[in-house]
Amino acid sequence: MPTPPEAPYFAARQLQKHFGGIAAVDDFSAELGRGEIVGLIGPNGSGKTTTINLVAGAFRPDTGTIMLDGRNLVGQPAYAFARGGIGRTFQVPRLFRRMTVLENLMVPALTNTRTSRRQAEARAREILAFVRFEHLADAYARTLSGGQQKLLELGRSLMLRPSLLLLDEPFAGVHPRLLEQIVEHIRTLSAQGYTIVLVDHNLDAVRSVVRRTLVMARGRKIADGPSEEVLQDPAVIQAYTGTRKAIEGRA
Amino acid sequence: MGSIKGTHVLQGLLLLLALAAPVVIGPYWTHVGALAWYYALLASSWALLAGYAGQFSFAHVAFAALGGYGSALLTLRLDLPLALSVPLTIIIAMVLGALMGALVLRLSGPYLALFTLAIAEIFRLMLVAEEDITRGSLGLEVPHLFSGNSDAPYYYLGLGLVVLGLLAMNGLLMTRIGFFLRAIREDEHAAQASGVNTTLHKIIVFVATSAIASVAGIYYAHFVGILSPNMVIIPEMGLVIAMAVIGGIESLPGAVVGAVVIYAASEMLRDYGEWRFVLLGLALILVQRFAQNGLFPFIERILDRKPAAASASAKVVRPEGEYANPS
Amino acid sequence: MTYFLLLTTNGLVIGLIYALMAAGLTLVFSVLKVVNFGHGSLYMLGGYASYYAISLIGVPPILGIVIAMVALFIFGVAFERLVLQPMYTDKVERKDEYAIIVTFGLTILITNLALVVFGPFSKSPPSFLQGTLIAGPLILPYDRLIASIVAIVILAGLAWFLARTSLGQALDAVSQSRESAAVIGINPKRMYTIAFGLGSALAGGAGALIAPIFALSPDMGELPGVQAFIIIVLGGMGSVGGSIIGGILLGIVQGLGVGYLPDPNRALAYTQAFGALLLIVVLLVRPTGLFGRAHLRLD
Repeated sequence: MPTPPEAPYFAARQLQKHFGGIAAVDDFSAELGRGEIVGLIGPNGSGKTTTINLVAGAFRPDTGTIMLDGRNLVGQPAYAFARGGIGRTFQVPRLFRRMTVLENLMVPALTNTRTSRRQAEARAREILAFVRFEHLADAYARTLSGGQQKLLELGRSLMLRPSLLLLDEPFAGVHPRLLEQIVEHIRTLSAQGYTIVLVDHNLDAVRSVVRRTLVMARGRKIADGPSEEVLQDPAVIQAYTGTRKAIEGRA
Repeated sequence: MGSIKGTHVLQGLLLLLALAAPVVIGPYWTHVGALAWYYALLASSWALLAGYAGQFSFAHVAFAALGGYGSALLTLRLDLPLALSVPLTIIIAMVLGALMGALVLRLSGPYLALFTLAIAEIFRLMLVAEEDITRGSLGLEVPHLFSGNSDAPYYYLGLGLVVLGLLAMNGLLMTRIGFFLRAIREDEHAAQASGVNTTLHKIIVFVATSAIASVAGIYYAHFVGILSPNMVIIPEMGLVIAMAVIGGIESLPGAVVGAVVIYAASEMLRDYGEWRFVLLGLALILVQRFAQNGLFPFIERILDRKPAAASASAKVVRPEGEYANPS
Repeated sequence: MTYFLLLTTNGLVIGLIYALMAAGLTLVFSVLKVVNFGHGSLYMLGGYASYYAISLIGVPPILGIVIAMVALFIFGVAFERLVLQPMYTDKVERKDEYAIIVTFGLTILITNLALVVFGPFSKSPPSFLQGTLIAGPLILPYDRLIASIVAIVILAGLAWFLARTSLGQALDAVSQSRESAAVIGINPKRMYTIAFGLGSALAGGAGALIAPIFALSPDMGELPGVQAFIIIVLGGMGSVGGSIIGGILLGIVQGLGVGYLPDPNRALAYTQAFGALLLIVVLLVRPTGLFGRAHLRLD
């Protein structure tokens, strides 16, 4: 079973990101302690994925800092974020479709020039075991089902032993049986001490894994605290107005 | 990966055929063959650039012209010996290739194609305009590499360059760099999120393929003996693209075969005039439409047919040999 | 002063025709997200379609323009259905590449087919109207005057169509987001077909307009094709208004350049290179073009 490193302290401060006049992320700040797992929720268009992209280094914030274990990551190229301890999954899985499952996993490991192919493969097989994909090692990634692709991406995000794991909608579009498995994996990772930010619309699934929830609406953070309190917060309910059902959990 | 596969046997056979050919086919076709190697070098290196690294560059023939004109002008105007002008030209091409790679970093797809097309056009127009240096459309005469009337030495030199080029490119692909290139081609964002320095790798590919293109141009210049800006016209780039796409855009040997077959066919069908290019355009569309990875990998797959891997969830898992193994 | 006026007006005429062609190209890009690398050959086909309509069927030259546009619309629809449609399914893996390659193949196919069928020698269709307009310092052959007027009319018609008709707005919707358009009941695939047909028709119309001015030849689409790419990048990929402004600007600048640069050989080459240089600079600085917009807009 893979073991995480000493998960460092994380802080995003006053992140701003405008796209052509629209503030996709407006003055977002949050702090996570080592090993914390938090949910990040909000209605469509609230800026959750943009925030994830900022923290992962895919976009550069207009202003603001991103501190991971005392280092400000802003300004570095995206790949440096990954090598610097950020692991992430994408809303729609971005796999190397015509490479095998094993090769998909090996890519991150090989970016460290001091890692040999054998070591990379060994680590990949560790992760394969964790997501229970040993039998799929030589399958091409594009032959996997949607849920399997999500799992593979989760596995890939773990390869470099991330200090911070960003999961963007890991439950979306996954059928119930596989969803259980993903929830279980995330619980395991959290128990092992990984620091995790979990973004999803499936509030039941999110609530079953996290104690603390952040809520975004229209680019701003409108709530941050224990999940039960946050979900009763009038501001949060108002943000979800018209979709009250969502607060009470999906059927 | 170490076993001898059907495709290796096929390539070996083709190589033997190529080695023996001049003896059988006569001087005219040896000349054609020697020219085909020029295109083979361009098509295979372009396949690496566009097929493997996903950089759809329209400036490839411009680098060939850079090689040809560079070596020619350094030899003619600065009186440098070939032993000096050739490496110098290649280095210049590599530097400019790196520059190109850096410039196109933020571009993709059609933007990258348009950008590189514009660069190629500017280069061509400069060659036309600066008549004093390049003799423009009148043509620049270049000293031949080998004396004598036979094209056989050129043929074998060309073949040697193609083989060396393939070995070098395969060597690159076998390394970690090649692995990351595949990942970048599949999904650049995912590659970055996985820690791959996509910038560096794209530049590496540009440097490598520009070098090979310039070598092709140098070969062409000192073989044919005359250079003109028509080397860089868009239809020439189109020909290289067609060769790579039809032969196999992700298969380096496929691109070589594509180049040879198409060039030889265009010679054989010379009597039919422009119909051969009508055919080429049609072939290009049809191959893209029905066999997007080219014909050579299609043939390779038939030779390499493996039994489907047994697995617990056989319904979901169907390993397919879509990705052509470099060699 | 008259030399300058002459160059400018001629540049304006050419610019309007380029704008027409570029508008077609940008329309296709904004709706299908495809740069049609065969656009120049469609322009050439339009010229020949008009020529043969006039010489074989005997229609008056002005009608030749209409016939060219209709013919090219049909051709565009056919090409889109046969060759581009598979792109929208999962069968095609690298869509950008596919589009570039097949549209390039189109150019190779059409240009060489034209060479074989029409012959390499240039043909001159009859003028729209013989004679030259002389108004004060302005000297303009009627052909060019009519070509500009027709180009303006077509462009205005296009603008009205895109802004005011439901079909035009449907095209705009798809160019912004095919998913959202589908949600409100627009069939994206039908829009792709229509957009490609329209874009081809615009190119064909441009070719028919320029035919009496510059004569026809199978390779006449090469340079204008490159100009069209430059214009849509300058004007903003997807902005019809930008194409119009970009086209006019480029036409005028090129007209002046050829007229004023001393060395004729250099003048021609560098005037053309100037456009390409503009494209490079714009792409480096603002990859979405000067009036950059990812979707279709009039201004």
